[in-house]
Amino acid sequence: MAHALSLLLDHELLALNRAVGELRRRHVPIESIAVGPGDVPGQARLTVILNTDDATAEMTMRKLHKLSGVRGARRFPVDDGVTCELALVKVRVPHERHAELLDVCDMFKATVVDELPEQAIVQLAGTGSFVLAFVRALERFGILEMARSGSVALPRVAPAQ
Amino acid sequence: MSVGGELLSGAEILCRVLREEGVDTIWGYPGGAIMPFYHALPDVPEIRHILVRHEQAAAHAADGYARATGRFGVCVATSGPGATNFVTGLATAHMDSSPVVAITGQVPRPMMGRDAFQETDVLGITLPITKHNCLIGDVSELAERVREAIAIATAGRPGPVLIDVPKDVQNQKTEYRPASGARFSLTPGTQHLTPLDERVQEAAGLIAAAQRPLIMVGHGVILAEAYEEVRRLAERTGIPVITTLLGISAFPESHPLHLGMPGMHGEVHVNRAIQHADVIVGIGLRFDDRVTGNTKGFAPRAKIVHVDLDRSEVGKNVPVELALVGDAREITARLAAAVAPRGCDAWREEIQGWARHREECYRGDLSPENIVAAIHDTTPDRCTIVTDVGQHQMWVAKLYPYRRPNTHITSGGLGTMGFAVPAAMGVKLARPEEEVWAISGDGGFQMNMQEIATMVQERIPVKMAVFNNGYLGMVRQWQQFFHGGRYSATPIWSPDYVKLADAYGIPGWRVERADELESVLARASAEPGPVLVEFVIEQEANVFPMIPPGATLSEPIEAEPAAAVGD
Repeated sequence: MAHALSLLLDHELLALNRAVGELRRRHVPIESIAVGPGDVPGQARLTVILNTDDATAEMTMRKLHKLSGVRGARRFPVDDGVTCELALVKVRVPHERHAELLDVCDMFKATVVDELPEQAIVQLAGTGSFVLAFVRALERFGILEMARSGSVALPRVAPAQ
Repeated sequence: MSVGGELLSGAEILCRVLREEGVDTIWGYPGGAIMPFYHALPDVPEIRHILVRHEQAAAHAADGYARATGRFGVCVATSGPGATNFVTGLATAHMDSSPVVAITGQVPRPMMGRDAFQETDVLGITLPITKHNCLIGDVSELAERVREAIAIATAGRPGPVLIDVPKDVQNQKTEYRPASGARFSLTPGTQHLTPLDERVQEAAGLIAAAQRPLIMVGHGVILAEAYEEVRRLAERTGIPVITTLLGISAFPESHPLHLGMPGMHGEVHVNRAIQHADVIVGIGLRFDDRVTGNTKGFAPRAKIVHVDLDRSEVGKNVPVELALVGDAREITARLAAAVAPRGCDAWREEIQGWARHREECYRGDLSPENIVAAIHDTTPDRCTIVTDVGQHQMWVAKLYPYRRPNTHITSGGLGTMGFAVPAAMGVKLARPEEEVWAISGDGGFQMNMQEIATMVQERIPVKMAVFNNGYLGMVRQWQQFFHGGRYSATPIWSPDYVKLADAYGIPGWRVERADELESVLARASAEPGPVLVEFVIEQEANVFPMIPPGATLSEPIEAEPAAAVGD
């Protein structure tokens, strides 16, 4: 079962290193990791999607929470929250197939963000499986390269205090 | 001191902060990148510096000092090889929750990241084996970062920290202000779904309903000094008390409720009690695999009540019925007040029925039993024992009748051979009035015996004992039991320890017969300085009973195996 761990870290590579090192050390099956700015200046948010049982997810969160440089930690089943990932995909698209690409993008609510002769970069945000479906749909054009951000996640209900 | 603060160098500030934090002893070894600190150190005569012979020993000594005092211990080394030599000592302290504060020099900031002479990424190396580590980026942050690191080392569940100070930061000057008095508050509040009082009541209810309850105490009881509270809980309920390796001496061995040590080398009746228990109150232990054996078969009938300061330990190794997260002393006191007085006579009788006379596995005259008894008889109740790792460690743990709290110090979690001799130096400086024995095997002793020179130069009168069986005995025992008797790389030659002692200018004895024990130990005990006593023991003596790795506590080996068993 997929769980999201959402951590607030000191905005420094050492804290990130410590957190990621702990994940590596505990041999937890990780599906995705995403790092970005936190809610307040000086903090970063690390979102980890784990595919594991409830007890392991809880243990992992506790082990991470007690690390030096980790300021906050919470977890929730992915089903109890909203997850989103950003993907940038560069595809080969000859002029005559441009309309076909726009159709696919329309279907997935993706946008073309860059165009060059014979190629385009499209951008999509959505859940991991939605992104995968989109990537599969683009395969018929020929994917030149792609970059995915990893999932960020928020629980639907506010944390109980 | 002026309001604006004195203009001091980073090195001077480091010395000042250590002194303000109450440091009186530091263990270290100078070198290029830490020279400004060593230049400033003589100006703070309140801090005694002990020059070790290897930085690993400095870390172990600081660890021993911390465990014996309950405060933090400090060790100092230069960058590169000095810092990397700390690694084993820090990992040892990390596994056993010991507040060691390690200070390392680093190459000057402009040279960092260029593979400069004696540059090592010590921060990266020590990340997983420290509770916290930091690099001081500027002298303006030095004092606060050092105070913070010390606070982290000692707060909550203690652990080692490392502070890496570039040489140019040590030379950089800034205005120094002493600590404002506001201490760092670091212990995060623990949140329970139900209030603690309710949980204590629930635990008391479980204890009241139990037919076969046990108390298991670990290192946390020593760290929290919860001795009286544990005793009150045990005496009010009549529940037998088991002490883990690091919990030994937390509960007097002479107490009628004391059962013994559990786990891999625990007595058969102790492990059997665990396997039959219906409630286990575990206080300040982490249910390590050497305690539990195969966790799938651990205490199959028991509901576990786990008292621990570190909530990330709850349920890590064994399923827990009820967690009481917090200070062992406070929670045990509340639990002792909440339980209804009861007795456990039938249950205790049942356990005693499983106890059997210790199998005398020993062919020679000088047995571990009579050596440990003789050491105890020479220095009854005014002695701290520091052990190394291996067979002698188990014999001492099982046989020495500890009565006073925190008088047994050993490397438990990491199992660091070479720990005893340097750690005992730290213990001795912390407890100058006590006799401190460092007991090692011939393998572990040879890992750090260079520290005899430190003891001589610094006048640290540690009594050293070496159990010499000519083997790396515990590994040899595993080879005998689980590897078809193939003694691969376990026979180990020793120098003449009496001559070795002589070379260092200290008295040394070799004991080969039991009738020599009393007189040699009396003389060793009477010596004012460090001494070395070698005990030549049976080469292939084994530690019994033994739970084979991967087996449950119900499957002990109790005597020499007829044939090799599978691992």
